[in-house]
This record gives sequence, structure tokens and C-alpha cells, in this order.
Amino acid sequence: MEREKIKYTDEELVKRFQDGDERAYIELVKRYKDRLLNFVYRYLNSFEQSEDVVQDTLMKLYTSAHMYREIAKFSTWIFTIAANLAKSELRRLKRRRVISIHSMGFDDKEYEIPSVDYDPAKETTSNYGEKQIQQAIDTLPDQFKTVIILREVQQLSYEEISQILGISIGTVKSRINRGRLRLQKLLKELKEQ
Amino acid sequence: MDCYSFDRIISDYIDANLNVKLRQEANEHISVCPRCKEKLSDLKSILSELSSLPCRETRPDFESRLMDRINQTKEQKESRFIRVFQDYSRPISVIAAVMLLVATSIFVYTSVVIPNSPGSIPSAEIRSVEPKKSMTMPATTAANVRSTLVSTTNESNHPDTNKVETPNYNKQIMMVNE
Repeated sequence: MEREKIKYTDEELVKRFQDGDERAYIELVKRYKDRLLNFVYRYLNSFEQSEDVVQDTLMKLYTSAHMYREIAKFSTWIFTIAANLAKSELRRLKRRRVISIHSMGFDDKEYEIPSVDYDPAKETTSNYGEKQIQQAIDTLPDQFKTVIILREVQQLSYEEISQILGISIGTVKSRINRGRLRLQKLLKELKEQ
Repeated sequence: MDCYSFDRIISDYIDANLNVKLRQEANEHISVCPRCKEKLSDLKSILSELSSLPCRETRPDFESRLMDRINQTKEQKESRFIRVFQDYSRPISVIAAVMLLVATSIFVYTSVVIPNSPGSIPSAEIRSVEPKKSMTMPATTAANVRSTLVSTTNESNHPDTNKVETPNYNKQIMMVNE
């Protein structure tokens, strides 16, 4: 099994799965489940929902693997699916949060939308800390949030981000630059609070 | 280079995507602008923190839950196929029975009820029937027979024995009446 892991590239594994080898699918799941989770988690800031989105992404891989053509890297293809599903989930979550806030009475003045699965033990020992960084990411407009996560958390290249989001490399560069500066500004504001 | 221009290229500066000239200009600006120098240092540290954020891992039962979902989907697909088959099996069998009945009826009709139908009877048989037909044609009444005999004996030129002629009935009837 260890030899197989080294032997096959992602694209070869998809090809094998397309030919009916289910072991290739399981191998792809093993390779991507945590990478996808880290991307989606930074995007949604909710472990439960992120895991669901990753499950949906990998289900889509199972049911739609025949749609994959080797013109793009597999990682780009799977991240595109995950990004689209994460966006839909975020929209759904936002709607739900808005509804729940509207349904509050006058007595419920103090409301905060907590991160359900925030673990203080995992806080980083740096200038800002995971909580503040995640808070800043959450506040970023969607167009900046996606590129920042793909670039800074997933360490993807400009070209890969451009393929995933279907935008030009110039736009990716511009969004990364503006997104980074916006993030910096937000973190500064959070620190001052 | 001013602060605004530096802001626009700060990412490219960090990612080392600038050409030599621009990089030199940026370096010169940083050396004289403490605000931009601090901004650059702060941004670098933020990006470093972002890249080293703790990694989340899926729960241990993630794969088994996924495989359960896949198996459920498979079963649903299969049961949907079976349901469709069950729904349509009765009409399909009725249609098949009707078609079989129609085909059998057509076969029986063409081979038994209409033995002379084209394609089923050889042409030689039709030819053998023709002379009989021509011989029985004039034998309608006794008067006709008699008149035919009269007309043929009166004629000077006898018809060719192989040639069957149609008798002139009107003429023959008139002759008998006289």
C-alpha cells in the first residue's frame, strides 16, 4: 500500500477510479480530506459544517469523477468543488444567523455569534493568535477571503488560485494584495479593542 | 516611490515578484519611511502566522461515515431502478403479450385464411388456374351456350385453338331471340 502511495499521482488515481478501482478513490480521500477541511474550516469557521462540506465534496468526487478531464490538476478541480460548496454553505449560514438575530426579543440585547468549536488550547503564541486571525478572516469580504485562504493557508500558487476561482492571474494578484492589507488593518483594529 | 505606490506593490515585494528596478525603489522607500517599514514587517509576521495556523483534522470516523453515505446512495439508486422496473413490468408484459397475439394472428391469417395471397403461393399455380377460369366464363345459361355454338359454326375463320376469345354476348342474345 505504501508503495502505491508513492507510485500514483493524483491524476493517475482519478484515472484508475474512473476505470472502476474504488481503492484509488479511498486513497484520494485519504490524501485530501484534511487539506480540504483546513481550507473549508478557515472559510466557514465551524468544524461541524466544514466536515459536512468536505464530505459533500468527496461525495461529489465519487459521483462525478467521470466529469474530470486531465486538462487541469486534480487538486485544482477538487478545490474548485470545495470552494463552491463552502460558498453556498456560508450563504446558508449567514441567512440562518440573520434570521436568528431578527427573531430575538428586546431582552436578548447581548448577542454574539460564537465560534462553536473554538478551542482556546490551540491558540497560537504569536502577536495575534488564532482566534483574532480567524475573526479577521471571517470579516473579510468574500472575494478577498477565498484568495487569502488559498494563498496563505493552503499555499497554492497564483496560477492554481486563478484556475480554481476562474479569474485572471492579474486579478488574483490584485485581490491578494488588497486582501492582505485589509486583513492587516482588521487585525490592528481587533488588537486595539 | 511614495507610500501609496508601496502599498500597491507590497505583496509582490513579499513574494519577490518585482523586477530589479522596482525592488530597488521599494528598498529605498523603506529605508526612509518608518511607517511602511513597520507595515511590511507586521504584514510578514501576519502571513507567517497564517501559514502556521494549527491544522484541523477530520474525525477518525470520517471515512466510515463517507463510505456509509456512498453505500446509501448506491442502495437508493438500486432500489429506484427496481421500483421503476416494478412499476413498468406489468404494462411491458401486457404490451408484449398483445404484440405476440397480433403477430400470431397475422401469421395465421396470411398462411391459412388467404392461401393465394401474394408471396405465399407460387406463380405457376396461378397459371394453371387460368384456363379453367376462361372455360367457365361463358357458361352462364343454356341459351348462352347454344348461341355460342351457333356463332362459332357460322364463322368462316376458326379462331386459333390456343387463343381464348371473349364472346359477344349482346350479338348472341339477339340471334337466339330471332
